[in-house]
Amino acid sequence: MDLRAGDSWGMLACLCAVLWHLPAVPALNRTGDPGPGPSIQKTYDLTRYLEHQLRSLAGTYLNYLGPPFNEPDFNPPRLGAETLPRATVNLEVWRSLNDRLRLTQNYEAYSHLLCYLRGLNRQAATAELRRSLAHFCTSLQGLLGSIAGVMAALGYPLPQPLPGTEPTWTPGPAHSDFLQKMDDFWLLKELQTWLWRSAKDFNRLKKKMQPPAAAVTLHLEAHGF
Amino acid sequence: MSQEDPAGENYRTTVKRNRVLHWSWESKLPLECAAHFIRMRSMVDDARIPKPGFWSNWSSWEEADAQNSLGHDPLLVFPKDKLVEEGSNVTICYVSRIHRDNISCYLEGVQIYGEQLDRSVSAFELKNVSFIRKRGTNVFCKVDQGGALGGIVLFVSKVLEEPKDFSCETQDLKTLTCTWDPGSDTGLSKQPSQSYTLFESFSGKKTLCKHRNWCNWQVAQDSQETYNFTLVAENYLRKRSVSILFNLTQRVHPMTPYNLFPKNVGATNATMTWKVHSIGNNSTLLCQLELLAEGKVIQQHNVSIKVNGEYLLSELEPDTEYVARVRCAYTNHFWKWSELISQKFNTAEAAPSEAPDVWRNMKMVSGHPTVSLFWKPLSKVHANGKILFYNVIVENLDKPSRLEVLSIPAPTRSTELTLDQCSYQIHVTAHNSVGPSPASVIVISGDPGNEEVESGRVNGTEDGFSVSWKPQSGDATGYVVEWCDGPQDLPCALQWKNLGPNTTSTVISSGAFRPGVRYNFRIYEISAKRMAHLLEKKAGYLEELAPSDNPQVVMSNLTSHSFTLSWKDYSTESQPGFIQGYHVYLKPKAGEQCPPAFEKTVLPEDSLCCKHTIDNPEQKTFVVENLQPESVYEFFVTAYTSVGEGPLDAFTKITTLDEYSHILIRIILPMIFCVLIVMIICYLKHQWLKEKCYPDIPDPYKSSVLSLIKSKENPHLTIMNINDCVPDAIEVINKPEGSKIQFLGTRKSLTETEFTKPAYIYLLPTEKNYSGPGPCICFENFTYNQAASDFASCGHFPVTPQAPPHQLGPLTSPENLLKALEQNYMNSLGEIPAGEANLNYVSQLASSTSGDKDSLPTNPPEPALCSEYKMQMVIPLGLASAPPSENSSLSSTTLLGQGEHYR
Repeated sequence: MDLRAGDSWGMLACLCAVLWHLPAVPALNRTGDPGPGPSIQKTYDLTRYLEHQLRSLAGTYLNYLGPPFNEPDFNPPRLGAETLPRATVNLEVWRSLNDRLRLTQNYEAYSHLLCYLRGLNRQAATAELRRSLAHFCTSLQGLLGSIAGVMAALGYPLPQPLPGTEPTWTPGPAHSDFLQKMDDFWLLKELQTWLWRSAKDFNRLKKKMQPPAAAVTLHLEAHGF
Repeated sequence: MSQEDPAGENYRTTVKRNRVLHWSWESKLPLECAAHFIRMRSMVDDARIPKPGFWSNWSSWEEADAQNSLGHDPLLVFPKDKLVEEGSNVTICYVSRIHRDNISCYLEGVQIYGEQLDRSVSAFELKNVSFIRKRGTNVFCKVDQGGALGGIVLFVSKVLEEPKDFSCETQDLKTLTCTWDPGSDTGLSKQPSQSYTLFESFSGKKTLCKHRNWCNWQVAQDSQETYNFTLVAENYLRKRSVSILFNLTQRVHPMTPYNLFPKNVGATNATMTWKVHSIGNNSTLLCQLELLAEGKVIQQHNVSIKVNGEYLLSELEPDTEYVARVRCAYTNHFWKWSELISQKFNTAEAAPSEAPDVWRNMKMVSGHPTVSLFWKPLSKVHANGKILFYNVIVENLDKPSRLEVLSIPAPTRSTELTLDQCSYQIHVTAHNSVGPSPASVIVISGDPGNEEVESGRVNGTEDGFSVSWKPQSGDATGYVVEWCDGPQDLPCALQWKNLGPNTTSTVISSGAFRPGVRYNFRIYEISAKRMAHLLEKKAGYLEELAPSDNPQVVMSNLTSHSFTLSWKDYSTESQPGFIQGYHVYLKPKAGEQCPPAFEKTVLPEDSLCCKHTIDNPEQKTFVVENLQPESVYEFFVTAYTSVGEGPLDAFTKITTLDEYSHILIRIILPMIFCVLIVMIICYLKHQWLKEKCYPDIPDPYKSSVLSLIKSKENPHLTIMNINDCVPDAIEVINKPEGSKIQFLGTRKSLTETEFTKPAYIYLLPTEKNYSGPGPCICFENFTYNQAASDFASCGHFPVTPQAPPHQLGPLTSPENLLKALEQNYMNSLGEIPAGEANLNYVSQLASSTSGDKDSLPTNPPEPALCSEYKMQMVIPLGLASAPPSENSSLSSTTLLGQGEHYR
């Protein structure tokens, strides 16, 4: 190939033109907003981490309650734990949930669970257990913030707590200590189920929010060529 | 419902008008478990009314039934959340609404069995319950496979203990601090930990303590002196209290002194200063100042002070680290010492207080006396500081000269001086930062003198070596014992010990002494002139050991009856004990007696052996005599000390010579040597030898015999040229029958038969026709034994030219000879080449026995002996036809003789 001096100048001009028009390329015209994808991924990762953390915490706490609560096959009736948000739901119902409802249910559940968990922390008699519970509460608070972030990214409003329905940890006088222990057991169990469910929720959401592969292809259909 | 026995209980109170009385009673069985009924009656209990009084009538039964308000839970367990002390007995029950029998109850996961009170109620008595956890002990009941579950948490508290070691004290008369041992914590999630309250009875004040084991009490301004404190420990179940009564001034525990510092620290004294916290106004404290050196209290002083303390410590050692510590107590009434405060300090240095201990070692290096000076480092007590250097001043005593001063930095502990033949006085001083030590003086004579002195031995004990000596002169100012700490083969670490003038013995001990090592001690006498003279030498072992190795024995002078053993290289000095002699072991062959110098002994491996003891350690050779010739002996030599002999090594085998072998050796060896020389010469000169004795192709021109013949007698003798030969004669052989018979029949000697008679008819020219040297030429191989030829010792057999050499042997016997002659005759008739017909070839065989005519038939010349084959020679016709005389047999025909016939 024979290149003359005039050709070099032409190529340089061509390159300059490309750089000039680069901002106009649609696929590159993004202002750094990655969308809800990464925050959904982070929330999913956080749920998995909390699952792991809870497994260790629940073991310690149930031992602290003593038998039968620390027995593996113990499955008491859900007597006083009716106020806890239930994680179990019909599969069809779960599938039919839209993203907003799905996220709202998660947010509300963890808001309640966090509140109950703090009550649990106040009851704990040993300092080590209090430390573990406080650490878990902080992590759960992070998960709540993360869900709120995803909802904000998707443009959904956060659910407002109804006045008077603020969950409190006030065992009544008739509430025996045994029932209290059952509540603690159920709180941990429900929390675990919710973390499983959230992992599924966010995995589903993640797949749904994943952009199609073609969108990342760079089209160099610059003007002027 | 089963009916329990009614339980009665008395309650005493003062009755007032319109006052409602309350009485609380706790049922052992929870009220929820069964309906309880109660009735009461009363009696006046007043001193003014004489006893016995009268009971009123019983009231009607009142029912307390809690079962109605239990709710509708299928399974309930009671009592709920009960708090009991450890060791209590607790009765629980379950109330079932489902009226099933398959309800089981568990205490902490372990099933418990109780008593059924009615169809729906069962009671369980838990005896001597113990504390398990702060969240309580779980008791629950469940319907098997039913799902219904009920339970309670029983809170078992540890028993509240009485506070132990309760005491109060003050540091400043303003605040009292009371402390105690709280014992176990009784806190549960249902019950907080026990609380402590401090109550003072005189003032009536009390304070709730914030801590489990101590509490502060502010002393009132009204200078209350006596206090009566009661400490009350309390939880939901119990109260425990303990009291003390004391006077405030008797419970003063001063605070730890502070600012303890040394001041004006000298070499032997220092002033310590410190401060104390004041207690009240004008109160005095007794302080105790202790001085410690190396962790031990060496001085203790009591000082009374108010605020500032000061004390001058004296009698201190220079350059020593000390620790001063102070504690104080309230002077008015001793209660407790305060905590200690410590301060470390070092005293200043002072000049060394003692001269260094100096010793010398003299040797001649290149003809000059060389003195190695050694000195021991000063002990800490005498060094009084860090020794920086040593000064060595050398003063010539024989002639006035300048002092030589050497400064040797510490920690060097030796130096070397090269002197001349004069006497010198050497001063050694140790210096620290303050100054020098007193000088250590030693005088060295330029003439080392005769150092040969008596050598002795010294015995080692567990304590060391007990060395003693005899004083030589009366003016000794002291003695020095010198030795090396290490073994002899290591460089000497010179050690010495100074002893007083009246001492004649000492014990030398050292941690470096080892058993089995020879130590040499030299004892010197120090004269008034500070000069050392060698008195005695001693050698000894701390503990003698058996030799660790055996002499390397060399065997020599082996004969048929003796051999000599020697071990000259064996050093007796470097053995682990004094060598007392040697044992020579000899193992003779089986069944043989020990040689005379030996005695029989049994070796450790139970084999018999002969043993000879040499009791002179310097005798290092031994001749083993009186042995049997041609016998195998085994020997082994070992040294022995007072402890034992060396290790039993392998024996060395030796075989004595036979009686004549030495003679044989004297003959055979020179012979072998000569043969070897001859062989070597033959090898080196083989070419020459070959040419001379057995050339491959004999060259007649080179034949020396030719020149010999020519020069001597027959100048006409020449070498035949092949062209000179003209076939002019035919040889016809007549084979007479008689001769054959005669051969076979008589078996006479060849020389005696007619064989030499005309067995051949020579068809040759007559002698007269023969004119001089004709064409007949004599070929001769002069490898032929000259002597043999000279003495005509070879047998000459007339053979036909075709006779192959191998037939020569068989021809020697008469029969073979005849056969050969026949065959040769036939061959000659038909096959003789024309060119060779005029030649008469005669084989020449040399025989050592050919001279013996009589023995020829019986001992015919063997081919091997007659291998000195003479090449065929042409015999002149005249000679051939000449009638052979008795002597002119085949064997007697000689070349020279023939030669003579030519003439």
